[in-house]
Amino acid sequence: MKFKRRARPKQIRSLLFFLSETTYRFVDCGSVVLTLKSTPKLKMEKYEKLEKVGEGTYGKVYKAKDKASGQLVALKKTRLEMDEEGVPPTALREVSLLQMLSQSLYIVRLLCVEHVDTNKNGGSKANLYLVFEYLDTDLKKFIDSHRKGPNPRPLPPSLIQSFLFQLCKGVAHCHSHGVLHRDLKPQNLLLDKEKGILKIADLGLGRAFTVPLKSYTHEIVTLWYRAPEVLLGSTHYSTAVDMWSVGCIFAEMVRRQALFPGDSEFQQLLHIFRLLGTPTEKQWPGVTSLRDWHVYPRWEPQNLERAVPSLSPEGVDLLSKMLKYDPAERISAKAAMDHPYFDSLDKSQF
Amino acid sequence: MDCFDLENPFTSLDNQESDIISALFSSESNHMPSHNYFLSLKSNDSFVSFRQEAISLILRAQYSCNIDRYTTYLATNYMDRFVSRQEIPQGNPWVLRLLVIATISLASKMKEQHFSSSNFQREEGFIFDAPAIQRMELLILDALNWRMRSVTPLSFICFFISLFELKDPPLRQALKDRATNIIFQACNEIKLLEFKPSIIAASALLMASHELFPLQFPSFETSILSCRHVNKENHLKCFNAMQEMVANETSDSIIETVSSSSTTTPMSVLDCHCERSSSSMAAIAVPEKREQRKRQKLNGFCSESNRVKISQIQPCG
Repeated sequence: MKFKRRARPKQIRSLLFFLSETTYRFVDCGSVVLTLKSTPKLKMEKYEKLEKVGEGTYGKVYKAKDKASGQLVALKKTRLEMDEEGVPPTALREVSLLQMLSQSLYIVRLLCVEHVDTNKNGGSKANLYLVFEYLDTDLKKFIDSHRKGPNPRPLPPSLIQSFLFQLCKGVAHCHSHGVLHRDLKPQNLLLDKEKGILKIADLGLGRAFTVPLKSYTHEIVTLWYRAPEVLLGSTHYSTAVDMWSVGCIFAEMVRRQALFPGDSEFQQLLHIFRLLGTPTEKQWPGVTSLRDWHVYPRWEPQNLERAVPSLSPEGVDLLSKMLKYDPAERISAKAAMDHPYFDSLDKSQF
Repeated sequence: MDCFDLENPFTSLDNQESDIISALFSSESNHMPSHNYFLSLKSNDSFVSFRQEAISLILRAQYSCNIDRYTTYLATNYMDRFVSRQEIPQGNPWVLRLLVIATISLASKMKEQHFSSSNFQREEGFIFDAPAIQRMELLILDALNWRMRSVTPLSFICFFISLFELKDPPLRQALKDRATNIIFQACNEIKLLEFKPSIIAASALLMASHELFPLQFPSFETSILSCRHVNKENHLKCFNAMQEMVANETSDSIIETVSSSSTTTPMSVLDCHCERSSSSMAAIAVPEKREQRKRQKLNGFCSESNRVKISQIQPCG
């Protein structure tokens, strides 16, 4: 392939540099040629950081206020590792996926994405701030407030039903877009208490990585909601891993305490086996050939009702379908939404 | 991680699901250039020539770097959206080049395609350093708010075809291929830019069915017009403008051979493009009316003179 026109390629130096974090200027040999307009203020100065609210699996999360509008936001900071190739493709694809998924009412809304570079001697380091809507509480805090504190009481059954339906709806939305969450837990389910809305948070980022045992701050990642196939080292994840977590969360709302509170992967499996029985090849074809399968004590399945005494029979039936050992048999989010347990729920409000 | 599929931007497992379809229609406007852009293009010739020049550079990259048409189509969508949101002073040909390089780079990352910007730049006779391209990428991402999974006319093809009673897979494929070609071609037609992606897809499919299955055209038209998401008036306007575009196209015999072969671009066509000089190649790749070709040649001249200027001022840096 040849072109007739061919000028001598010469490096055009410092064509583009930036004056502040937001104003870029194209410079051609010292003379300013062009300024691209940008937001007047320094980007992150738009926000007033109020407090650190958590360590997400992939970075710090701050509660902040948009100075102009007064709106509360959650700022999630992640490093953008730049190399020769510019913006990393994984970051590009994951953030744009998040942008798309957050259009659902049951997914925490991504309001905007701000990148901030710290330009040091031409080196490029960039931080990415994902600006999410802020919700004041999460399901973990909500359940805790019903277990301890001045007025311990069960969660109203209609509220459990409504939260579970919204959770299934959000999970179905992710799954229909081909996205697994893989780390569903009560801390990741944010609540708007006034409107009674539940939203899924902390998804997307990290789809390209395996679920880490420890977050970057060495905080232990909880195992309580992890599906048995993941614990047994299965390499083929499917949407069923999220449905297992949904089942655990469902039971926890009813019990006000975790269903399988294991503190190691081994202990986690034993917790599961003690309640549901040690899985057999008949129940779950292929289980004994999974990478981390060992010979375990043989426990007989217990009556699931006893673990969730206040739950209706339809509720127990749905829970048992979410906690099926064989991932292929586990109920899907979409099918769960049609389960008789939700018959008494007014679905038109969602 | 799976790469971005323009025909299925929501990575949905079942893209005929009603939730997904309504989500497509409700989000399409987020992925269009702003309305002011069309007004500027209509009233200001320099905008038109900037866009023409950018598109012809994008298409040159397509042929010389062997990138697929979907990737360059995506790059064009980014370019339009960026230019409509960010004022770009005219008369700086290298701004255009940097913009084009960065949009192709972003699009090929989304599509998981290899794009060697340095090879292409060498071919074209300019080189930007890596930080410049990187910053331009970030500028584009900022302006588009990282919405890089563009909803384009291609996203609607499967849905509209599913409305037709066309069971034979080869016929469906032929219809889809022809419509896809028309959609690719439509992005060069400024008059068509203001229509929503879904309207362009519907019109392109009807246009294709008119050519390929004229007998079934009335029933296809009825099923498209009965779709509640389709605005009849806009559809008619778009269809007419597209008819005009296709009529102009048939006057060009080279284009004729490209588009009538409904399969993917044959190698012989690629070869034929590559043997030509870049300016006449752009004219082929961008099927436009005569006066626009003249404009392109004029632009080619301008960038030539600018290149001289840049190399002259090099020593002072």
